[in-house]
Amino acid sequence: MTRYFLFYILILFSVTSMAKTKNGNPMKESLVLLPVKNDPTVSLKIWFKAGSQNDPRGKEGLAYITARLISEGATKKNSYEQILEKLFPLAAGYSASASAEMTVYSGRVHKDNLEVYYPLFLDGILHPSFSQEDFSRIKDETINYLTTTLKYSSDEELGKAVLYQYIFQDTPYGHIEQGTISGVKSITLEDVRNFYNQYYNRNNFVIGLAGGYSKKFADRLQKDLLRLPEGTPGTAPAINYEPIKGVNVTMVNKDAPATAISFGFPIDLIRGEKDWYALAIANSWLGEHRNSSSHLYQVIREARGLNYGDYSYIENFPNGGQRQMPPVNEARRRQIFEVWIRPVPNETRHFVLRAAMRELKNFIDKGLTPEEFELTRKFLRNYVLHYAPETEMRLGYALDDRFYGIQGSHLETFRKMMDQLTVEDVNQAIRKYLNYDNMKVAIITKDAEGFKEALENNTTSPITYSTPKADKVYEEDKEIQDYKLNIPNGNIKITNLEELFR
Amino acid sequence: MARTKAEKIFPYNYTTTKLDNGLTVILVPMDSPGLTSYYSVVRTGSRDEWEPGKSGFAHFFEHMMFRGTDKYPGPVYDGIITSLGADANAYTSDDLTVYHLNFASDDLEKVIELESDRFQNLKYDVREFQTESGAVYGEYRKGKTSPWEVAFEKLQDMAFDKHTYKHTTIGFEQDIKDMPNMYDYSISFFKRYYRPENVVVLVVGDFKKDNALKLIKKYYSSWKPGYVNPEITPEPPQTAERSTVVNYPGKTLPLLIVSYKGDAFDVKNKNILSSVLVGDLAFGETSDIYKKLVLKEQKVQFIQADFGFSRDPKLLYIYSMVKDPKDVEYVKEEIYKTLADFQNTLVEKQKLSNLKKKERYSFLMHLDTPDNVAGFLPQFITLTGGIDVVDELYSGLDKITPEDIRQAARFYFMPEKRNVVLVRGEN
Repeated sequence: MTRYFLFYILILFSVTSMAKTKNGNPMKESLVLLPVKNDPTVSLKIWFKAGSQNDPRGKEGLAYITARLISEGATKKNSYEQILEKLFPLAAGYSASASAEMTVYSGRVHKDNLEVYYPLFLDGILHPSFSQEDFSRIKDETINYLTTTLKYSSDEELGKAVLYQYIFQDTPYGHIEQGTISGVKSITLEDVRNFYNQYYNRNNFVIGLAGGYSKKFADRLQKDLLRLPEGTPGTAPAINYEPIKGVNVTMVNKDAPATAISFGFPIDLIRGEKDWYALAIANSWLGEHRNSSSHLYQVIREARGLNYGDYSYIENFPNGGQRQMPPVNEARRRQIFEVWIRPVPNETRHFVLRAAMRELKNFIDKGLTPEEFELTRKFLRNYVLHYAPETEMRLGYALDDRFYGIQGSHLETFRKMMDQLTVEDVNQAIRKYLNYDNMKVAIITKDAEGFKEALENNTTSPITYSTPKADKVYEEDKEIQDYKLNIPNGNIKITNLEELFR
Repeated sequence: MARTKAEKIFPYNYTTTKLDNGLTVILVPMDSPGLTSYYSVVRTGSRDEWEPGKSGFAHFFEHMMFRGTDKYPGPVYDGIITSLGADANAYTSDDLTVYHLNFASDDLEKVIELESDRFQNLKYDVREFQTESGAVYGEYRKGKTSPWEVAFEKLQDMAFDKHTYKHTTIGFEQDIKDMPNMYDYSISFFKRYYRPENVVVLVVGDFKKDNALKLIKKYYSSWKPGYVNPEITPEPPQTAERSTVVNYPGKTLPLLIVSYKGDAFDVKNKNILSSVLVGDLAFGETSDIYKKLVLKEQKVQFIQADFGFSRDPKLLYIYSMVKDPKDVEYVKEEIYKTLADFQNTLVEKQKLSNLKKKERYSFLMHLDTPDNVAGFLPQFITLTGGIDVVDELYSGLDKITPEDIRQAARFYFMPEKRNVVLVRGEN
């Protein structure tokens, strides 16, 4: 096992260096370097401290639109068409993503092509031209995403988006990164230029560089980025939300054959802290993402065949249906604990919600047994190796480490903590951070009124299966069907699909 | 970028061994300290579901493979995989089913033992079988909210009369509903297709070749051959254009899929290799139609082509999301015009050589981890039984000329080979 540690230590280190600006003021510039000698490619990531939390009120979506326009639009030198032509034979491109707190401009190229590629990469970030043509295209696409794609083509992603907005409503996290329909519609090119000028400046970035680059190239990149305009570091607005009282439900009425359910609540814990790793073990046991080891998966899918999967999270995990491993550069100062129930037949929705809540209660009340703890930490110690086998992913993690202020590396710490934590640490973290009394639930379903009534009256929800199940399943079902959800009257509201993301 | 025939583009040395029982073993050591990927490629996908009423079975069976054996019952298998911290999963498509694990190299023997055991001794009872069918139906429901799923389901049904490509991998809904009653059939499915002659074991990563081969022989040699070929009816040539309109129960921009009947993969068939290049030349990000419809006129949200490889003749797809329903006909005509241009005009040499360079570099850049290397190979394994074809393919692509491209366009893009689906939303 020692080999892995050696591997990470050899290639995973970062440097903070001091550079001087032209006018002589010392400028603290962060640089994250991950040289990998044998890697035939070079990965670049420039992180600007801005994200959807910085969208001005009424202009929700501005950080997202700006990032896309930088990476999918013309520069002063080249039209977008010309850029695509030039990048094409290199099999390389550049992209920018804006999450809640981070905007990251990234590219990856084969070493053979670095010299041709690099000026294009640099030009994209230094000299965007913000053309009307590119702007219209990207704005249209975003509005289509908010009005049709997200609402109609994947109810589970929709459910998760609704849950995040519901938990963080009235805070800078209260809209998804693509914004709101009215926000995007009201964004002008002038807004984009202002956002770029404010946040894409020389005092507001961290450079990430990884793979088979030379020292000379690293110096050149640093120097070139100092050509970004003068400015001030971005500020992160406070995320103050009202504590959740009781179980609150928002239902979206949608004519769909299956019901998507997500629920959760904020947790005051971010990676890097000891408790985070303890809670990571607990969470992995309860609901490891897309893994049959997840306890919720065992109860709802494996034993009962009610849906495709059931998982839980202690960090934001967007696009869970499309990815196996956690994403990078989605870092946030505020995280939630979240349970994701993939679509279930409408007639089982009440039963499944009860089953999931009941499992959560049992989990919090009882904690993990020493055996469950042992198995889960053993799992995670190796499973974490699969989080970032690629150089580019490791660079993403290294930038996130910088965001969270982690000395060394989160992934290394993760593995180390698996040997240091005890079952008591884990159970204490469960009791400290998790609860089943105060939370928000987002449900996408047909006949929301009917479900509301059933929830308010705690109507019994017996389940029948078209195929036989194990005896202990039937016994447990009798408890589940009348499990009390304790949702106070007035805590359930129904929204129409068309009202979302307005 | 011209390369001699001898030049190998696949950058790793590998060995291919056939065991006495017919099992093929491909070993690809690479520099990836401590990590190995183990892929079991079954050369059976939804294509092999030739019996009426049995569509979706290859995929359903993929689920059943996690239910265990006498020696390692499902929960025990899961427990061991969990204790190894392995990243384990599986997928099914038209032509293949793949079971894959990424794990710490020290655990290689355990993984070989577990995988060889379930491929030889899978055992599950009726109840487990029926419960899993519920999860499969859940997967169908989850997918069905996407207008693309609706579109492809309709397209394949319309384009094929006899061949099993008529159904998508998940299967016809009525067959999925009937799955709980198919326990006995599932046993016969396993006995016919999960045989060493139809499976290729692929190991990529940080391991010693000799040791891996010794272990694979130790654990797999007892596996008895007995593969039975599926009785797939070839699709008769299509003689007239087919098209349909589907109403999607929700909002979506119109989706337009224009597709043409293709050929079975054959690395020596220049038309097939050329078609892959045409897809990118005609509809990629640097194509004229992309510039016109996406960037300039902004009539479509996107347009792209998927001219892939298949074991039997399938479809070459061009798909687009049109912004205004009024423009659907216009976009369709633009697609036809683009294809006609490729039939009439020779593509510029520079464009073609840029594309070849791009293909080569995107291939090389992708091969950076054991999982990425291993994940790229199953399609070639299912098409040809091995991976020697990768070098042949890239050297074949390198030799394609503008004349070849024109010839392929003339061969495939004929109105009588065309199948068109339009999906309309309730906007």
